[in-house]
Amino acid sequence: MKALEINNLIKDYGNFRALKGISFEVNQGEIFGLIGPNAAGKTTALRIISTLLRVTSGNVKVFDYDVVKEASEVRRKISYLPEEAGAYKNLSGKNYLEFIAGFYSENGNEKKELLNKGIELANLGEKIKNKVNTYSKGMTRRLLVARALMINPELVILDEPTSGLDVIISQEVRGIIKDFVKQGTTVLLSSHNMLEVDFLCDRIALINKGEIVETGTPQGLKEKYKANNIEEVFINTIK
Amino acid sequence: MKNFLNIFKKEIRELLTKQLLIGLVFMVVMFIVMGSFIGGIQEEAKEPKPVNLAILDLNKSEYSKNILNKLTEQNKLKIELIEETDVQEAITKAKEKEMKVLLIIPENFEKEIKEMQGTNLKIYSIIDGFSLKEAISGGTINRTISILNREISLGFIQEAFPGKNPMNVINPLQMEEFVVIKGKISSGSPGMVEALVVSQFLIIPILLMMMILYAGGTIMTSMALEKENKTLETLLTLPVKRISIVIGKMAGAATVALMMAGVFLLGFRYYMSSVVPKVPGGSDLLESLGLNMSPSSYILLGISLFLAILIALTLCMILGIFAQDTKSVQIMNMPIVLLVMIPLFILMFKDVESLSFAMKVFLYAIPFSHPIIASKALIFDNYFIVFMGMTYMVVFAIALMVIAIKLFNTDKILTAKFSVKMFKRK
Repeated sequence: MKALEINNLIKDYGNFRALKGISFEVNQGEIFGLIGPNAAGKTTALRIISTLLRVTSGNVKVFDYDVVKEASEVRRKISYLPEEAGAYKNLSGKNYLEFIAGFYSENGNEKKELLNKGIELANLGEKIKNKVNTYSKGMTRRLLVARALMINPELVILDEPTSGLDVIISQEVRGIIKDFVKQGTTVLLSSHNMLEVDFLCDRIALINKGEIVETGTPQGLKEKYKANNIEEVFINTIK
Repeated sequence: MKNFLNIFKKEIRELLTKQLLIGLVFMVVMFIVMGSFIGGIQEEAKEPKPVNLAILDLNKSEYSKNILNKLTEQNKLKIELIEETDVQEAITKAKEKEMKVLLIIPENFEKEIKEMQGTNLKIYSIIDGFSLKEAISGGTINRTISILNREISLGFIQEAFPGKNPMNVINPLQMEEFVVIKGKISSGSPGMVEALVVSQFLIIPILLMMMILYAGGTIMTSMALEKENKTLETLLTLPVKRISIVIGKMAGAATVALMMAGVFLLGFRYYMSSVVPKVPGGSDLLESLGLNMSPSSYILLGISLFLAILIALTLCMILGIFAQDTKSVQIMNMPIVLLVMIPLFILMFKDVESLSFAMKVFLYAIPFSHPIIASKALIFDNYFIVFMGMTYMVVFAIALMVIAIKLFNTDKILTAKFSVKMFKRK
């Protein structure tokens, strides 16, 4: 069973076609990167997979569940971290994680387990008890990454996970993701940071103006286009 | 249920901020201070402290002295006789003695009065400021002159009709008023009953208005905050039914609003009880006329209020979906404010039955009119209009709820935009 299957996905916003029939698959346990410039359609695709937006036409299946018809089942399998996500500012980091854990646990012990895992992943020390409005951007992002991973999702969807973060925090976040995947979780991430993609992803799809222009492993694509890095691959594909 | 409670708890924590609690405490303190201040002034007006009145008696007759003595006895005036003969000097002297009013009895006072020509008293008010207290001392002067006039008139009447009560000449007609309501008769005036009923039930439309404005604003702000803080997308991808999100948010906003309205009402009640004078025996009068609401009427009124608040919350939730940020909430709240204010002001002063057909239809169409109409109708046991209003509100609320849940299930929840920036010129 594939973690994600997208077949001829089209999404229109009024007269504007954001996705022009894209298709790709993500295998279980791999980190798959959706790579492209701004306004390429990455976020729209991720929002559809996360059941936030409806498809205009085409099929999207997460672990064989249709994202439109079986949205509730899909939501139990996934965890989505939007690009500019925030947390509730009047809650403490701990309260925020507790709030999220409440939706994924059946009893108090389970909730406590998830919460402890979240606190460990966030690694904010005593500051986890402080209100979110006192956090720096990096601290908030760490909290949100912890939120996305602590619930043991089968598919993690990360939209620009390190966008706007400094080098050190970005490196830290990438480390958390890389370690987490060792447990067998599937990750779908979008990024326009080609170095990040090279470091994290097992396979990538290059997207431009709502179309998938190339799919493959980072190494395979570099060899195919005789490029030194993914950036060069991307430029060659859109020429 | 678990998910609903989780969202409800989060909403309460998110909405109940320190700033909000400080604001509430400040509001109550304001009401108490204002009530005590205005109430204190009114108490003073009811039982005036002796007014310092300087008098320059240019007549210096026994007659003028007698009249002035009666004035002192009746009005507890602190009279200071000024001996100067010149008005300007008398003013200076009065000022020195910290007198607020100088009354000048003219030279030919006794002669003009006794010859029934009427005489002219000159009163100089020495004003140091323009406070409410100064205005009240102005009122005391007028009452003082009325007492003087009455004493002089009573003297004439006693002379003309010795042995008769002069009051029966001044006020030969006395009246005893009765009101008949729902077949019950009780002594009292219609104005008094109306004032009692209005003061008794004024609290209902005000409670409704406060609840709707607070709850509406709170839920819109909650939705706008979800967008502003970028938490909405995460919330919508959680394994939670949309209806749990909608109802959890509404319940959270309603609870916070109820608390705010409750605190507001406590303060408002204290303020009103300090400011509005109580009618002696008012509650007995309402009871004897059957104008007190029964427990079942209170329950019906409660249901009616609940339905109106539910409608307001759902309506605001729908509008909140379009709010892009907390600034736009203030503009988006306007239609709700108008829908609450229009029936509130019309129905506070007019009965719905006295309005034109078009106006009646207009008011009945606004769901927020119905609790106000019900609060009056229940006093007169007019249950039909109450139940009709409640049925209309149930249908209205269900329709709005369906729209809200549908909107939560569409792209609109993320793509609908309304921002104050839309009104700014580029």
